[in-house]
Amino acid sequence: MVINYGSFYDFPHLFDKMMNDLHDPQPTIRRGATFPPLYISEDDTAVYVRALIPGAEMDDVELILEDNTLVLRGELHPVQGKYHQQIRPTGSFQRLIKVNVPIHKDGITATMKNGLLFVQLPKATAVQPQTIHIEPR
Amino acid sequence: MQQRPNRIGKRPKVAPPADFVEREDGFYLYLDMPGVEKEKLLLDIESEKLTVSAKSDFGLKSGERVHSMEFGEVEYSAKFELSELVDKQRVSAKLTNGVLTIYLPKREEIPPKRISIEIL
Repeated sequence: MVINYGSFYDFPHLFDKMMNDLHDPQPTIRRGATFPPLYISEDDTAVYVRALIPGAEMDDVELILEDNTLVLRGELHPVQGKYHQQIRPTGSFQRLIKVNVPIHKDGITATMKNGLLFVQLPKATAVQPQTIHIEPR
Repeated sequence: MQQRPNRIGKRPKVAPPADFVEREDGFYLYLDMPGVEKEKLLLDIESEKLTVSAKSDFGLKSGERVHSMEFGEVEYSAKFELSELVDKQRVSAKLTNGVLTIYLPKREEIPPKRISIEIL
């Protein structure tokens, strides 16, 4: 088995979660407990964070990078009128994303399109893999 | 440990979360459909049924190493039964910030016609 010591290596937490799930065989519906849903990935040059925040305007969302934690917070407002059914989440939300690699802070870009927030965090050049050329003697 | 988007099989069909709101001028249906382009959205009204379907596009690439996957590409699919109160000719829809808003105006009621009785 290959153990992943990647930037988001978080094995103890995953293990705790697995044990907790065993204790609670019929988990209560966690829908909406973690909002917005995230998709975190990386390649050699950058870390990518995607979040689904349908209905949010640019001004409703705030992104802050503190030390090595990316803070995503904001608020979704309910619409005017009489609700007969409400399933879409409203209210304030916050998610913390711990990034354990040095980030080139000036190169961070964030875009919003069709309710999808896409944040690109370029890695500092020092941690990017570099090919070292071996010279024959 | 590592998951790659191209390993995902067929995209699942999900019903988008929906809000149903009534205002003076009619009913409003809000559907959360992030990642959907306006051109890819299919909205049909057939007799009393309103169907919505679309495929998401979150731009998930296969070259990335994935650490946390709380969502994936899906196919949105929803079906609603329209009430008789709705004027189907004037239904309109718009897609902004990943939310589809469908406006269902109330049918204007025809005032009852009074029939005068003539006395013979």
